[in-house]
Amino acid sequence: QKVVTGKVSDVSGLPLLGVNVIEKNTTNGTTTDFDGNFEIRTGNDAVIVFSFVGFITKEVSVKGLKTLNIQLEENTENLDEIVLIGYGTQSRQDVNGSVSSIDAKEIEDIPQVSIDQLMQGRAAGVTITQNSGQPGSSVSVKIRGVTSITGSNEPLYVIDGVPVSGDANNTSTSGRSPVGSGGQQDTGVSPLAALNPNDIASVDILKDASATAIYGSRGANGVVIITTKKGRKGEGKLSYNSYLAIQEPTELIKMMDLPTYARLQNLFSDLTGTEPRIEFANIELLGSGTNWQKEIFDRAIMQNHQLSFSGGKENVDYFISGGYLDQEGTVIGSGFDRISLRTNVNAQVKDWVKVGISLTGSRTKDDVTINGNRDGVVSLGLLQTPDVAVYNPDGSFAGPIDDDGLGSLNPVALALSIKNKLTRNKLLGNVFVEFDLAEGLSYRTEFGGDFNFNKNHRFTPTYAWGRYVNEQNVLNIREENSVFWIIKNFINYHKNFNNKHDLTLLLGHEAQESTWEGTIATARGFLTNDIQTLNLGDAEFAANDAYKGSQALQSFFARVLYSFDNKYGITASFRADGSSKFDPLGDNQWGYFPSVSASWKVSNEDFMSNFNALQDIRLKVGYGETGNQNIPNYRYGATLTTFNTGLGTGFGLSNIANPDLKWESAIQTNIGLEFGAFKNKLQTTIELYEKTSKDFLYQLPLPDYLVGVDPYNGGVGAPFVNLGEMRNRGADLTLSYNTGVNDFSWNSTLTLSHYKNEVIDLPSGLVITGETNLNGNSPIAPTITNVGQPIGMYYGYKVIGIFNDANTITDQPVQFGTAFSAEDGDTWLGDIQYADVNGDGVVNANDKTIIGNPHPDFTYGFSNSFKYKSFDLSLFLQGSYGNDVMNLTWLNTSSLNARYRNQTQESADYWTPENTDTDIPRPVAGDTFNNEISSRVVEDGSYLRIQNLTFGYSLPSSLMDKLNINNIKVYGSVQNLYTFTNYRGYDPEIGSFNQDALLMGIDNGRYPTPRTFTFGLNVDL
Amino acid sequence: CEKEFLDRPPEDAYSLDEFYSSEAQVNASTNILYNAPWFQFANTPMWAIGELSSGNARTWDDNSADFMKFTVTNRKNHLANGWSSLWSVVAQANAVINFLPDRVDASVSQPVIDNAIGEAKFMRAMAYFYLVRIWGPVPIIENNLDYVYNPQINTNPVDDIYTFMENDLMFAIDNCYSKNRGSNYSDNGHISSGSAKALLAKIYLYQRDYSQARAYAEEVINSGEFKLFGLEVPGSYNDLFDTKNNNNEESIAAIQWSNTGEYGQGNPLQAMFAFTTALTGTGDGWGAVSPSIDLTQSYEDGDLRRYGTIMEEGNEYPNLNGGYVVPENPGTQGTNVAIKKYVVGKPEYNGGGSSQNAANNTYLLRYADLLLIHAEAIMAGAESTTDGAALASVNKVRERAGLEPLEVLTKEQLLHERRVELAFEGEYFYDLGRLDRSEAIAIISAQERGTYSNDDPPVIYSENFTPSADDFTFAYPPVEVQKNPLLEADPVPYNFN
Repeated sequence: QKVVTGKVSDVSGLPLLGVNVIEKNTTNGTTTDFDGNFEIRTGNDAVIVFSFVGFITKEVSVKGLKTLNIQLEENTENLDEIVLIGYGTQSRQDVNGSVSSIDAKEIEDIPQVSIDQLMQGRAAGVTITQNSGQPGSSVSVKIRGVTSITGSNEPLYVIDGVPVSGDANNTSTSGRSPVGSGGQQDTGVSPLAALNPNDIASVDILKDASATAIYGSRGANGVVIITTKKGRKGEGKLSYNSYLAIQEPTELIKMMDLPTYARLQNLFSDLTGTEPRIEFANIELLGSGTNWQKEIFDRAIMQNHQLSFSGGKENVDYFISGGYLDQEGTVIGSGFDRISLRTNVNAQVKDWVKVGISLTGSRTKDDVTINGNRDGVVSLGLLQTPDVAVYNPDGSFAGPIDDDGLGSLNPVALALSIKNKLTRNKLLGNVFVEFDLAEGLSYRTEFGGDFNFNKNHRFTPTYAWGRYVNEQNVLNIREENSVFWIIKNFINYHKNFNNKHDLTLLLGHEAQESTWEGTIATARGFLTNDIQTLNLGDAEFAANDAYKGSQALQSFFARVLYSFDNKYGITASFRADGSSKFDPLGDNQWGYFPSVSASWKVSNEDFMSNFNALQDIRLKVGYGETGNQNIPNYRYGATLTTFNTGLGTGFGLSNIANPDLKWESAIQTNIGLEFGAFKNKLQTTIELYEKTSKDFLYQLPLPDYLVGVDPYNGGVGAPFVNLGEMRNRGADLTLSYNTGVNDFSWNSTLTLSHYKNEVIDLPSGLVITGETNLNGNSPIAPTITNVGQPIGMYYGYKVIGIFNDANTITDQPVQFGTAFSAEDGDTWLGDIQYADVNGDGVVNANDKTIIGNPHPDFTYGFSNSFKYKSFDLSLFLQGSYGNDVMNLTWLNTSSLNARYRNQTQESADYWTPENTDTDIPRPVAGDTFNNEISSRVVEDGSYLRIQNLTFGYSLPSSLMDKLNINNIKVYGSVQNLYTFTNYRGYDPEIGSFNQDALLMGIDNGRYPTPRTFTFGLNVDL
Repeated sequence: CEKEFLDRPPEDAYSLDEFYSSEAQVNASTNILYNAPWFQFANTPMWAIGELSSGNARTWDDNSADFMKFTVTNRKNHLANGWSSLWSVVAQANAVINFLPDRVDASVSQPVIDNAIGEAKFMRAMAYFYLVRIWGPVPIIENNLDYVYNPQINTNPVDDIYTFMENDLMFAIDNCYSKNRGSNYSDNGHISSGSAKALLAKIYLYQRDYSQARAYAEEVINSGEFKLFGLEVPGSYNDLFDTKNNNNEESIAAIQWSNTGEYGQGNPLQAMFAFTTALTGTGDGWGAVSPSIDLTQSYEDGDLRRYGTIMEEGNEYPNLNGGYVVPENPGTQGTNVAIKKYVVGKPEYNGGGSSQNAANNTYLLRYADLLLIHAEAIMAGAESTTDGAALASVNKVRERAGLEPLEVLTKEQLLHERRVELAFEGEYFYDLGRLDRSEAIAIISAQERGTYSNDDPPVIYSENFTPSADDFTFAYPPVEVQKNPLLEADPVPYNFN
């Protein structure tokens, strides 16, 4: 026998206190002390077993060694993993609802700005698309398909107990979107951008209604519970995490160079009877001209630093962190930066009282690109012509000089001169006190708050860019603040009877209120562009606007968790919500949301004791009802909008009232099966669900002859109503495989999500269309929503080909009532031939049909991580299969119907009498039916993206010990490395325009997502 | 407590139910009808149809040129903008007509209420007048709430729409205040009973009900409510369109733009008409259209209206930006001239405004138009007249223009007077539309819509376009047809009960 000493630590080198150190097959053992040290007497050939809750047990044979330094790996497949289920926790094995979890480890070292982007592909059933590559912009998160027709389909985020809406437009919770639109861009900013992903410990996604019903009216789109890091008992830890990244635009669209453009302009001169431009007389003398995309896209730097301190002693644990992120956008002039501070402290004050606080303060600044449509920087980068220079010889911005009034602004000048800055200050926090009243009985009260102070500063300077001269500078300041608070009081009772019956009861009440207020002031006529404050504007031309509002929600809830003999479990919950969104004089303010679910641990049955092929087999089934009340205020009544008129203030009716408004509701059932195989190395979760939502809170898409223009322009808003019914059926599959031999470990997880959306019912006589603008101002309705089909299907004409034969052309169905002739406005050779779908012998609006489906057959994520000794490698792929994309960016840039507008190189293959073997129609000046929304602009949006590749190296612990450092890791990664796709646009991952479910997959001048190269460093002391 | 916690009435707006509680509020309730809802219509459709299609203007802008070339498709955004804008006027007018009587406080006197409803009915008729002239049959909507849950409705025949407008105007005549347009222009903004009579005269004229048209026109003339600016009161044709003369004695009805520069609440015309940003100072001034060669050549020698309508090289405008001399070859569309009317200059010379938002009124109807209506009503479809009353009215208009009085008024001369008097006010295409189609097509196809070359002296690159008979009305926006295919069905007679 001899003495063996040593130290046990976790992978990062942090000493572990209280690890069991036992000689195998004996009762000889000890535990590690505060510094992780142990000392044990054993025989020479003994095997020592190191075990610790939450870590993988390790066996080491002594073989004559005197010291053993052991690292224990955390058990990520821990059977006792705790899952947050809302107002409480449960062991993963006991959760009856559908909950996916993402561990912080999975998403570390990835240079994403906010957590919603990081969730992409990590959880089955969660479809995430980035709506824009703009730094800090919003993301579309859809949990199990599209639940609602309008309003937000974004889930509810609960950050350390404080609910935060995922709705980027914020109209229901803070009045208006924080960014002034100025009629230009509509890319919402992410409500989660204020949260530093490095502070996040875990993300639990409640997917089915039996899980989310406890959140009642706010749970219909799923709930994402985000928990931030806490200090751990043991020695204090100081961490520094940092990365530096270079982002580069991925793919540029090939646009015409100057000679090709000049040829097209000369053709237009013929068509419009104008004199050809002198400078285009000798095309062979022309250079390639300005490549505007190269001018507006640029490599951009991103850097991130985070310093955190954490630890815990006896009755207190703490986590303090500060972070700084600075991201330049790949579109010049755009950017995002964030300073964030976080403090989490928990303390056991007495045996019977526990308190805790979690607090985040952050300041984010967005340099918002003028984007979103024809006048946006990205669109103009495509359309601005190659004969215009970026700069004049004197260094000032150039612009078109003689363009018959048809040209465009210089997008570089636009991007760099017009300032649109959004500063958001946010304080988000939660305090709790928990009293143990008796054994198993506790009372907890929580107060949470979300305080936002936003300021948007938008300045248009005076300028002279070619013929575009602006002598009046304009400053627009929006200041907005919103205060949200929530008070929760609940009682928890837990009792285990005879080790067979396990019962947990919850009873609670909560009240929450949002108030918001905003001021918008405009000043004009500054003497210079240098100092931009309101007081320096010409007082005579000042204008102001303001808004203010509040909403409230009051709720009661109860839940029973019961399990018998660790085999059968039942969960039942009930919640009642009263909402201020509905008429207080009516009967619709309160909604009631029950749920019930059950599970059966098949493997724990006696008759399964001899069945070893599969492990931990569990069946579960759930049913629940949730609601939605996410609409602007006071839609049960009508209000008046104020206008400035020459007669004094005017008051326009802003909306049509509907006092009968009530909750939108969703019913969901879920069946799940979980099992492990190969000794639990392969873990499988399969879930099937059906979600039926009805009574959508929907603003009626009334024809303009009933409502006119938008209310802020003097029209009358259509009423919000409850209508329709929609069903999503789907399946989520998660496969994860973990193995390891000696120093090598391998972990792969595949998630597959499939849903099928079908609209079951709509009122007759109501045509639901998704509407947007083409070329900035031409209204179009590219989608339609019909009963029996998925929501938001692409709608337009089917293309047969191009008219090529003068002999047979007149035998074809007449198109849009135009004659077959070469006259202006008629249909002739080189024009698109559309299908006469209804066979009535003519082609007109009645031949519009479904031409594409934006819903994917499935989306998937495949993450792989490998570890060998100090090296780790991870590869993450994600993609979408079977969805269509409508490429309006391409249509806008290949319309071949106007001068002074650059077009795609591809469209240079336009039809001419000499070039008939093409699918690009002839150029026509002005309106042409060739540019109808048609199958021509619908493309396969399937893609597979190498989303992330990371290679890391941790310095050897022997070296670290000498330096008294726990861990140093360096890594390099590539984000958005490559995308396999047939899509012609910048990026097939389109998202929804303004998170609108009726405009899914519509690419209309979207800011593309960059490729990012990162180098990072993590140090733990 | 619980009830109150969940009761959140609007905190930043009047609720409709509580608005009409004082005379001041009822009086202010119609202001909106003179402003924002008209914006999109005034912004482009008004001139794209009224001027480009009529041949008064030309453009190279491929987006607008379709109106000049009669190749407009239903997808044209100008049409969609005009459509939704005009229906906004109808919707807001209907809100006043239907909601005010039920909600008004008992302390507000009946004449105040009736006047407001009369104004709303006048504006509803005005919007329908444009709708019916541009699209022909459209649905008659008296209360938008009736169709909210049943939006697919038929159009009604053009004749029914005219009857509907007549009814509205009769109500306005009976219930709006009578006024006498004085020199305190701020009192003149809201329309009067006399304004309604004037519009009714025009509507009867369109229906060729000449006796009624004449009767109402004469009532207006005899009342002395309106005066010809620059003839009966000091001023000139050119000054008629200056911001400072908003709501002058000649103005019968006008859009009342704000000077605050808020988008959509100011006059967008200068942005489109001014041929250079140097004129506006606000980055706009796009010269989207220029006067056509045909219009420019049609002026009689010495017609002062040419100076007030068209900018030509060397013209001096002392009131424009403190003095402006037109440079060589103004204009952007190859006709070597630019538009003057509604071009008022920089904000500092116009009491405010901003890009696309000037503070000058846009006329919907003015007294000179009424005088010409009067003359035309007397002609009653004849080829010419020597009637003294008709000549008196026309010659008054000509006198202000510095022209000799006519002794015989022919149909062609009257059409010409209407054209040059009202050029760039969006009227001429509708005047052509009132002619027999073949006559109108002959006039239009003979118009010179081409450009001048850069030679010295310039030669004309001639362009002529021939409309077909159905090019005089336009197609419904396709999104609307998609929502309501019945728009394309045959009109159904309106049930006036």
